[in-house]
Amino acid sequence: MSASDLNATSLFWKQVRKNVANWTTVRRIMSVVLFLLAWTILVQFIGQFHQIPSPTAVFAALFQLDLGVIFTEIFRSFLRVMVGFLIGLLIGLPLGIAIGYSRIANYLLFPAVEMVRPIPPIAWIPLTVLFFIEIESQIVFLTFYGAFFPIVYNTMGGISEVDIRLPRAAMSFGLTKIGMLWKVILPAAMPQIFTGMKVAIGITWLMVVAAEMIASKGGLGYWVWYHHTVMEYPMVILGMGIIGLCGALCSVGIDVIGNHFMKWRNIF
Amino acid sequence: MKIQTNTMAGDLQNESDFVFKRPLFWATIFNLKTVLKTVSVLSLFVIWALLVHFKVYRFVLIPSPAEVLESGIEWMKSKDFWLDASLSSLRVFGGFTTACLIAIPIGLMIGWNKIFSDLTFPTLEILRPIPGIAYIPLAILFFPWEEASVAFICFVGAFFPILLNTITGVKLIDRDYFRAARCLGSSPRQIFWHIVIPGALPSISTGAALGMGIAWMASVAGEMISGRWGLGYRIWESYTLIRYPLIVDGMIVIGLLGLGSSAFIRFIAMRVIPWRKSITESLDQSITK
Repeated sequence: MSASDLNATSLFWKQVRKNVANWTTVRRIMSVVLFLLAWTILVQFIGQFHQIPSPTAVFAALFQLDLGVIFTEIFRSFLRVMVGFLIGLLIGLPLGIAIGYSRIANYLLFPAVEMVRPIPPIAWIPLTVLFFIEIESQIVFLTFYGAFFPIVYNTMGGISEVDIRLPRAAMSFGLTKIGMLWKVILPAAMPQIFTGMKVAIGITWLMVVAAEMIASKGGLGYWVWYHHTVMEYPMVILGMGIIGLCGALCSVGIDVIGNHFMKWRNIF
Repeated sequence: MKIQTNTMAGDLQNESDFVFKRPLFWATIFNLKTVLKTVSVLSLFVIWALLVHFKVYRFVLIPSPAEVLESGIEWMKSKDFWLDASLSSLRVFGGFTTACLIAIPIGLMIGWNKIFSDLTFPTLEILRPIPGIAYIPLAILFFPWEEASVAFICFVGAFFPILLNTITGVKLIDRDYFRAARCLGSSPRQIFWHIVIPGALPSISTGAALGMGIAWMASVAGEMISGRWGLGYRIWESYTLIRYPLIVDGMIVIGLLGLGSSAFIRFIAMRVIPWRKSITESLDQSITK
């Protein structure tokens, strides 16, 4: 081993010590450990918490998990979320662009959208069940509805908040209105559009869980509800964790796609 | 050397430029903007009525606007309505205020103190992606009292938007304020009360408005699954009892109450943070400018 090699390794370990093995990491790990400890103590010693399963019970339930079943449920929920989200994107994005970009479209469409918006998506469940025959299309409609408004509002807001100097400069260089939309307005509004998509995917997961709990036709929400009815509470907590993980993965996925589309953001 | 100023002073030499011409009264009402906006709102109802009237696809089952109005008036006259509305509001406000009381101090501390942030934030970040509705089975199990379980779900829904916005609010405060305060010899406590809290308030109010919306949504879900009174329960019961117009009435009342409570938050925010009007103004004003 040469001296430069040795130097490189020691440098590597120095970097590790500086960036990974420091007090911040210790504290962050401590945070989770303390949380688990507090949970255990509460369950063990405080009366009201006796019904809640302890972390060890949840951990033990992890090994009783039927992987085939759980992956089918995850896949089902995921498919519903994705279909609803994509339909929401297909309808919401053009609508948001139209409302944000054209004043006439704003006057014509925005008041109607604004009237429907305050009704929370979950309140649509009974009407949806009435209107759609198939349970799949009911759930997909609800996920779509949950994704729709955040996408429309953030697209609209992103476009209306574009720095006015950008379109002016583009106009003086002779860009057409359509070209301006593609080359100037949309890229400038992109960060907020992706924020909207992130909010939307969160609400979509919430909607899918609520709809599946009520519809009882498979999916993670139903899985959690089923284990609630047969009183297997460790599985309920596990299911909550899996739902959270799926939601977090989806939002990370949108971040990754966003970074791909907005490469200029990484320069700064 | 002559200093060139870039003001409009030259344009304003003429006295008549200052005269503000008030538009005619009729022109303020019958301009393109108002007409189109009215058309927009009316067309929503007209399309709804037409779809129901001509029984397009499954619209046979959907109640028409007239039916909705009729049953709505009847509902308003009964005692049920006031009980439902007030109970739902109480649950939402209970959960929401608890969320504010816990999330705002924690958020301020996380934003302000690095060690506290390291000790708490990772756990909260793990819990955050779990939607409030997934807590329903646990809430039913834990709280023997139904009111508390619905309020708890509202609390979970409102907690994270308020927390995250409080943290961002503190993080976005200009560093120079802290430096200036330290130069002038203020204690950490003074910095906390006079810089951290006022600086984070605009962002906290945004988070509170968001959290309020999610709390209403969570309350509807909670009541649908485990309620005996309340608007969410009323909607679900009307579905099972085949009183379909009442479903739409319930939806409208929930929407109105949600709007009212976010207006209430905006009103409070305007009182507390008079120096940041732009935050408290709603989004539509920035869009129609």
